[in-house]
Amino acid sequence: MTSEKTTTSRAIVTIGILWVLLTAAGVLVSIYATPWLMPESASNTMHMGILTMIIFSVAAAPVAALVYAVVLYALAKWRYTGEGIPPDGPSLRANSPLTMVWIIGSTALTLFLLVWGLSLLASDNSGQGGANEMTVNVTGQQWLWSFQYPSTASTQNGTPVSVSNEDLYLPVNTPIKFNVTSKDVDHGFWIVQMGIKINAIPDTITTTEVTPNKLGDYDIRCTEICGLNHSYMTTKVHVLTEKAFSNWLAAQPKHF
Amino acid sequence: MTSTIEHSTVSAPALGGGIYRRLNFGTALIAGVVFAVIAWWIAHSLLDSDGRGFSDQVMVITAVGWVVGFELGIGAFTSIGKWFTGRDQTHADEMYLAGKDAGQARYWRFTTDHKVVGVQYIVVTMILLGAGGLLAMGIRTNLLSPGNHFVNQQIYNSFLSVHGMLMILALIVAVAGPWANFVVPIMVGARDMAFPRLNALSLWTLVAAIPLLLGSLAVGGNDMGWVTQAPISNQSGVGFDLFAMAIITFTVSTTVAGVNTICTVLTMRTKGMTLERLPIFVWASSIAAALGLYAFPFFLVVMSLNISDRMNGTSFFIASEGGTGWLQENLFWLMGHPEVYVILLPAVGALLEITTVFARKPLFSYRTSIAGMAGLAGLSVLVWAHHMFTTGWAPALGGPFMVTTEMISIPTGIIFLVLLGTLWRGNIWMRLPMYWVFGFISNFIVGGITGIYLSDIPVDNQMHGTMFVVAHFHYVFVGSVLFGAIGALCFWYPKVTGRFLDERMGKISFWLVFIGTNVTFLAMFVSGLRGMPRRYSSYSSIFEHTNAVSTIGAYVIMAGMLVLLGAVISSWNKGEPSGPNPWGSKTLEWLVPTPVPLENFEVLPVITEDPYTYGEARTNS
Ligand SMILES: [Cu+2]
Ligand SMILES: [Cu+2]
Repeated sequence: MTSEKTTTSRAIVTIGILWVLLTAAGVLVSIYATPWLMPESASNTMHMGILTMIIFSVAAAPVAALVYAVVLYALAKWRYTGEGIPPDGPSLRANSPLTMVWIIGSTALTLFLLVWGLSLLASDNSGQGGANEMTVNVTGQQWLWSFQYPSTASTQNGTPVSVSNEDLYLPVNTPIKFNVTSKDVDHGFWIVQMGIKINAIPDTITTTEVTPNKLGDYDIRCTEICGLNHSYMTTKVHVLTEKAFSNWLAAQPKHF
Repeated sequence: MTSTIEHSTVSAPALGGGIYRRLNFGTALIAGVVFAVIAWWIAHSLLDSDGRGFSDQVMVITAVGWVVGFELGIGAFTSIGKWFTGRDQTHADEMYLAGKDAGQARYWRFTTDHKVVGVQYIVVTMILLGAGGLLAMGIRTNLLSPGNHFVNQQIYNSFLSVHGMLMILALIVAVAGPWANFVVPIMVGARDMAFPRLNALSLWTLVAAIPLLLGSLAVGGNDMGWVTQAPISNQSGVGFDLFAMAIITFTVSTTVAGVNTICTVLTMRTKGMTLERLPIFVWASSIAAALGLYAFPFFLVVMSLNISDRMNGTSFFIASEGGTGWLQENLFWLMGHPEVYVILLPAVGALLEITTVFARKPLFSYRTSIAGMAGLAGLSVLVWAHHMFTTGWAPALGGPFMVTTEMISIPTGIIFLVLLGTLWRGNIWMRLPMYWVFGFISNFIVGGITGIYLSDIPVDNQMHGTMFVVAHFHYVFVGSVLFGAIGALCFWYPKVTGRFLDERMGKISFWLVFIGTNVTFLAMFVSGLRGMPRRYSSYSSIFEHTNAVSTIGAYVIMAGMLVLLGAVISSWNKGEPSGPNPWGSKTLEWLVPTPVPLENFEVLPVITEDPYTYGEARTNS
């Protein structure tokens, strides 16, 4: 009985050390590799998305590390090396305290992730809007995007016209509301470096919002299979200073 | 049971009597083709060829003709036909249907013996995996470098759809088909399934569905992915009709199979086999079957409505005519998420069974593990809209669905607890089945954790529709379910054949598949993180390296699967003889002779304890 206890406690100590080491490795990889693997961030939404990825990875590291620690120890120490069918192991049918700790621990971790995610979702939904919000109408069709600026709407010879373009131009630090629709089938409107994505659906308007916070050129890619040239349904976003943006807008021709 | 007495009182049947003896796979193929041609001809001559949806109507009616003809030709309705005409089956007929003394021929017939059906399912699963795997190679070859050098976009998109659906079907049946049929009845101490003829019906209905799915590639394919989203489904050619008819046929097969599994476990258990003494694999199979009965009707409905929009001019999913594509997505994922657990649970059950035997330990926390699996099944019906976070449907429901989805990590954690607790201080016997258990644990932790990221809406807004999602669910389907299915095959192979699956080839296959899986899908995670959308046939140069790595990894998986196939075939007749219970297991299927006799038990056993008495000072009866 004593020797059984010492083997068990030796196993627990070794697995504990292994667990700490693997967790530390996991945490380091989460913190440094995640932002390096993801696109640069051009909005606070994207920034928070990357941060969430890091936090979730850090939270998952001890879980994965524990599983790997036990598995590695089992493979190294509990592997039967004799011939034929091994003798029976100890009859451990249950361990209620351990099971309770395990369930409570995983529940607590899940709750933490939920609270983080739900509060981020709530702030996401309330953070935008405001007086200086600008609306852009997004239209997908097989297989290109077009962007209309309803603030420029006027009428020419009785027909409504506005600025429309196949690259998206946006002013920096201005909340943007996208009204998204499609002319034919579903498409997925995704601004890669801004962390927003919404389906473009025919005869339906869906919306999403973002505030670009960095000057530069970014990518739009279609994320909903839409037929033959789905893979080529990409375009660019150009985030300009407010002044450069209004100059650009003023220089654009208006069409129906 | 009195059946042994009946045996001796019934005289041998007069040979050559009855239609049973003339039907087999060959007559089924002939009848299927003949009926399809007749149906095509009738549809062509009676329907208005200028009407909307004419070609879809013809294709659907032809497909119905094929399925009905095939079922008639295999003899699926012979018994019921006889019953209608007042000539019920004789005992000799029943023995004939069960494949008594029929040798190899019984594998090519409508045979009711559950062990024959199990073996037939092994073959069907391998065909599905092989076809789906070839298409996967086509997809990965095209993605080796950007620019569609291998196939054009149209073919590529069809490859995606048919690969996806073949693999979903393959994995739904990969464990439940062979082993809920071959093993579960013996495990509970029954002489056969509750409904032997329904059992054969489910198998042959699945077989009837496969040519429809492959045929869809031949008639122009279905180029919108396996999710068959509307309204793009209305742009697809007649390939879509065959694709949808294959699914409808499949749902019939799997519903029949699920009812049978549940009824067998509920009503056919031998004396003393209480629910508390059931092997965990029986629990897993039953919970999965029950979940399937909930999930697959949605599949039937969504495909039927989709076809109806195309051929009848209805507008269930057409927004401009009063429908909505969101309805299609809801119905699809009401099926689609539970289906993941219909696929996963039998694999988990098999791996738990393997772990107890090879660690020589009782299952750790038997009741908790049942609660864990039931919790997975229960929660899985409440999470479907996490597939729709970025579709714009009901934004207010995002939070609630995020809560239910993340709660799934709690029962998933229980599965890990049970696995690790069973390994704890065991005498771990590293034979071939055990390799797949360890591979599963390693892969499933990756697949599980990456699922938690996707359940978080702000992260999903970035990751949805990217290769990250594809990598995540391939860690679950390939890394976890396929590993479970192969582990189950290695474990029960000696029971089926009386021989071991070649250990050396099996281990080579394990290392190839394990390394290949991790190379392919880790690189795919990186593609997704960097921003590569899924279902792209070509991509910008920043994704070149990770895609090349994924393609090489995929070839390694294929090589591993071919080695496994070689082992399965070569060991079938030439493997090392195993005897009836080579692993020293205590579940009933190992306590009957190998090969298992027709009706399994000479005398039905009486059960006094569960099969996990390892290390307990009792003698097992
Ligand atoms: Cu697209
Ligand atoms: Cu899901």
